[in-house]
Amino acid sequence: MKKPLLGGLRWLVFALAVVILNFPVIATLVTSLKSDAEIMTNASLIIEAPTLDNYVAVFAMADRFDILHFLGNSLVASLIGSVLAIAIAFPAAYAMARLEVGRSWLLPLAVNLRAVPLIIFAIPIYLMYQQVGLLDTRFGLALIFCLVNVPLVLVLFASSIADLPLEIEEAGRVDGAGTLRLLVYVVAPMSLNVVAASSVLAFIYSWNEFLFGLMLTTNNATPVSVGASFFFAASGGGVRWGVAAAVMILATLPPLVLGLLMYRQIGRSMTAGAVKG
Amino acid sequence: MPRTSRFEGHLLIAPLTAFLIALLGFPLVLDVVYSVSRVGFENIRAPELIGFSNYAKAVADPEFWAAAWFSLRFGLIVAVIQMVAGLGLAVFLAPLFAKRPWLIALLMLPMMVAPALVGLMYRLILHEFVGAVPYYLLEWYGDFPAFLGRDWAFTTLVTIETLQWTPFALLILHSSYAAISPDIREAASLDGARGRRLFLNIDLPLMMPALGITFFIRFIDSFRVFDNLYTLVGPGAGGSTTSMSIYIYQAFFKVGDIGLAVAASMLLLVASFVVLWAINRFTARKAPL
Repeated sequence: MKKPLLGGLRWLVFALAVVILNFPVIATLVTSLKSDAEIMTNASLIIEAPTLDNYVAVFAMADRFDILHFLGNSLVASLIGSVLAIAIAFPAAYAMARLEVGRSWLLPLAVNLRAVPLIIFAIPIYLMYQQVGLLDTRFGLALIFCLVNVPLVLVLFASSIADLPLEIEEAGRVDGAGTLRLLVYVVAPMSLNVVAASSVLAFIYSWNEFLFGLMLTTNNATPVSVGASFFFAASGGGVRWGVAAAVMILATLPPLVLGLLMYRQIGRSMTAGAVKG
Repeated sequence: MPRTSRFEGHLLIAPLTAFLIALLGFPLVLDVVYSVSRVGFENIRAPELIGFSNYAKAVADPEFWAAAWFSLRFGLIVAVIQMVAGLGLAVFLAPLFAKRPWLIALLMLPMMVAPALVGLMYRLILHEFVGAVPYYLLEWYGDFPAFLGRDWAFTTLVTIETLQWTPFALLILHSSYAAISPDIREAASLDGARGRRLFLNIDLPLMMPALGITFFIRFIDSFRVFDNLYTLVGPGAGGSTTSMSIYIYQAFFKVGDIGLAVAASMLLLVASFVVLWAINRFTARKAPL
């Protein structure tokens, strides 16, 4: 009998892949649950005396390292950025899919944007932001998140709207609805799945963005992806590894939980975005 | 198409167009102007045109070429490994995913973590006293290398990038593999194709487009690597881990040479157009509609 053996091997490979691919998070989580003393004597993945002290310590040091401030910045900027991306991409996608406007130039342009390293635009954007006072603001950061997400959101909307049955819209037209009314009352409700999937993905990508957060913020609007690295800088040579690990876990938890809950929609959007882009 | 709806169409794309002009078009113009100017923070509004000396400076800088070579090598190696590993996992684990689709969620998790945080996590994990990796290597082999030293940094970074983004390759290739119609496989197996032959002659050719897309997406993303590199090692020992993105960042923020940084950006833009042209040419991607 070869079959059960092969099946067992598949499970073994799967389990190994899960542990190895997720190793950074697993090892960091383990460290965050050890006491300072244990971290220095026991670097293994087995915790002798689990404790939540590190998490308590993170929130107790708000005067030097205010994690809630960084988490709040990430939350606000990511939300605004994602909503904005959807708000400007949705009507444009409709115009491309149904009205044949911009399909030949705007869509390819936006899609290929994903392949261009955004650092190319980072320096002029920095200088622009400096002139108009958007440096170190959550809104300035949100505009960048919107820019990062617009290509993917646009592709997802354009293909999903093209797949909607035309008859319903035509019926709406016959009843005298204008394009805007159709968009709001007919097309949008039928696209709620895509709206949900793409907003989750856009939120995760925004939350995890680093380069612009690093360049365009100094303190007021610093997102947690950048803020977490401040912790290392702030503690100088003697990093408190347990607290550092707790900071990293807290910064990772929101996208991780979202990803776990919405894996199906995210997977579908990622593949659709890749294959259709 | 009636005139009114064309007009409405233009209204509907107006916000997106305006946004892209403001955040891409205008910066691009600034890029072009500053790249041929002598410019500093003091004359940011009135740059002085000087021709192509910024470009000459970038092209003559060995560090520029070292960074370009690093990014190219890094991108190619990482993309190939991810494609092969993703393909292997997608095909070998397909029976598990077919019965329990949620299993794939556990393999998608690495993609949900910010690469910048992954870089920070490895500072902890690879730390010689408190890190789990040195601990186990010491336990099992009695020794561990200087992961971020000159000899090992490249390998370490390739490994980190590969571990985080192989799930992307796996996801794309899994859905492409699952989309192959059972009828085709059945017909082939009636003709006597089994196991490896079935895979090489039927599955693999059908997955070629997906493999091409996976390769290009992974290459592009790895080529512009910045976050995990920056948080883990920065430019590294003697600039040994300076990617193109790190080079431009440093030229601007550390050296303060706006002209050089912007000229390097423009060269990178040209390079990415070449890559894009190649992608559109060789993968015959269909338009999204």
